[in-house]
Amino acid sequence: MINKILKPLAHLLPENNRFERIWKLAQVDFKKRYYNDKLGLLWALLNPLFKIAIYYVVFTYIMERGRENFAIFLFAGLLVFITFTESASKGLAIIKSKKYLLENIQLNKIDLFISSILSVFLGFFFNLAAYTCFILAAGIPLGFNYFYLPILLINIFVLCLGVSLILATIQIYLKDITHLWAVTVLAVFWSSGIFFTAQDIIDKLPQALYINPLIGIIDNMRQITMYNEGPNLFYIFVNFGTSLVILAIGIVVFKKFSHKAIELI
Amino acid sequence: MKSQDVVIVKGLTKTYNLARKESRTIKDLVLRPFKRNEDNYFKALTDINFSINKGEFFGIIGRNGSGKSTLLNCLMGSIPPDKGSFIKTKGKMIRLALGMGFDPNLSARDNIYVNGSILGLTFKRIGLIFDDIIGFAELEKFVDTPIKQFSSGMMAKLKFSIAIYAEADIFLMDEFFGGVGDISFRRKSNKVFNETFLDGRTIIHVSHQLETIRKHCNKVLLLNHGQQICVDTPEVVIPMYNQLFKPKPKKR
Repeated sequence: MINKILKPLAHLLPENNRFERIWKLAQVDFKKRYYNDKLGLLWALLNPLFKIAIYYVVFTYIMERGRENFAIFLFAGLLVFITFTESASKGLAIIKSKKYLLENIQLNKIDLFISSILSVFLGFFFNLAAYTCFILAAGIPLGFNYFYLPILLINIFVLCLGVSLILATIQIYLKDITHLWAVTVLAVFWSSGIFFTAQDIIDKLPQALYINPLIGIIDNMRQITMYNEGPNLFYIFVNFGTSLVILAIGIVVFKKFSHKAIELI
Repeated sequence: MKSQDVVIVKGLTKTYNLARKESRTIKDLVLRPFKRNEDNYFKALTDINFSINKGEFFGIIGRNGSGKSTLLNCLMGSIPPDKGSFIKTKGKMIRLALGMGFDPNLSARDNIYVNGSILGLTFKRIGLIFDDIIGFAELEKFVDTPIKQFSSGMMAKLKFSIAIYAEADIFLMDEFFGGVGDISFRRKSNKVFNETFLDGRTIIHVSHQLETIRKHCNKVLLLNHGQQICVDTPEVVIPMYNQLFKPKPKKR
C-alpha cells in the first residue's frame, strides 16, 4: 500500500540524480520502519493517539486542567514534538545504520541526513492527515490559513536537520551522549508548550521562546489549524532565526569533525 | 603526472591510535578532564606511493595485517589518512567485498536502486538496466526477497552485477573475485573481465590468490607491515611475496 502512494510521488521530482537519491533513501528508510510489521503504518498513527489518550485522561479528569478541544490541542503539540524527537534519534543512529553504504560507495553524508528527516516527514504527513480528521470531527472548519502550514514545515525541517547533524557529530566522539540527550528531550518536552500555550510559557520565562523554537512552531500550528487565524509572524521570525543558527552550527561542526566517523564508530 | 592517471597516491601514511577508544564518554570527560590515556600509536601504512593508469588491473598483495584493507579504506575516503598524505581519485568508485554494501532488510530491488542511485544513475537509467542486472546475477526469482535471506554467493553475484551495469569507473575488489558463483557464473564474469572491462575500467584487486593476480594484473603492489616493498609486474612481485614467508619456516 505504501508503495502505491510513494511511487507516483517520485515522478514529480526533477530528473536530477541527487534529489532522486535522497528521495530513494528516504523511501527505503520509511519502508523499513513500517513495512516489516503486520500493523505497518498503523504504528505511526497509534503512537500519538495512545499518548493523547493518556495525557487527556490525566489532565482533564485527574488534574481538571483541560480546555476546549483539549485532545486536538495536545495532538497539535505532539505532532510536532514527535517529528522532532524521531529526527533526532535517527540522527544519532545514522552513521551506524548507514555504515554499509559509507564504507562501500562514495557519497555525500549530508544527503543521508536530509533523507532520514524526509522519511520522518513521510510519517508526519500520515499523522497530519489523521490530525485533520480530528479537527473535522470536532466540527472546526478548515480555513484558508492552512496554506501557512508549509512555512512551519520548512521551519521544522531546518530545525530537525540542524539538531540531527549536531547530535551525530557529538555521537562520533562521545558515545554516551544518548543518555544526556534523553534528559534533554524531557526538558524539550515540558518546555515546548504541548500542554500550555506559548503565552503561558513566555509570561514566566520570556527567554524560552528564543532557545526552544518548538514553542512558537507549536503555537502557530494551533493558530493556523485550530483557531483558523493567521500565524504569529514574530514567532515565525524568531523561530526561523534560531533554527537557521542551529542548522548553520550543525553543518559547520559536521563538516569539520565527521571525517573520522567510520574509523571511530 | 600524466592525465591518464585515475589514482594517484603520494606519501600515504595512516596511523591508528589504539588507546583512544577507551576515553570517549562524557563520564570520563567530567571525572577525569585532564587525564589522557597513554597514546598507543600503530602505523598501519607508511609512505605508500603509486599511481594507476586508466584501464589498468592493479593488484595488491601482502600477508594478513599488512595494511591492504586500510589502504582500500583510504582510497574510498571512508577513513582519513594522516596529514601530508596525498590521494587523488578520478571517477565513480565502488567497493566489492563479500556481504557488504547492502542493507539486509531491503529487497534486491531496493538495494539495486539505492546502490545505483549513489553511483550516479538516474531512476530512468536504473529502470532500463534493471533486468540486465537481475539477469546477469541469475536472481530472477528473488527480486523482492530481502537480502538477508540470500546466500553469500547470491549477494556477491548481485554486487558484481550492479558494479558492471552501473558503470563504475574504479572497482575496489577486496578478496572478491574468484570465489563468486558456480562455474557458469564464473565463466560469464571472466568473459566480462576480458571484454568490457578493458574498456577504460580500472580495477584494484586485493587478493591472496596468486593465480588470479598472475593472470589478470599488469601491476602489483606488495605490502609488508604497512611498508611498500615494491610496485612492479606480477612476474617480479610474486616471487618476492613468496620470499616473505621463507625466513620463518620453523615457526609453523
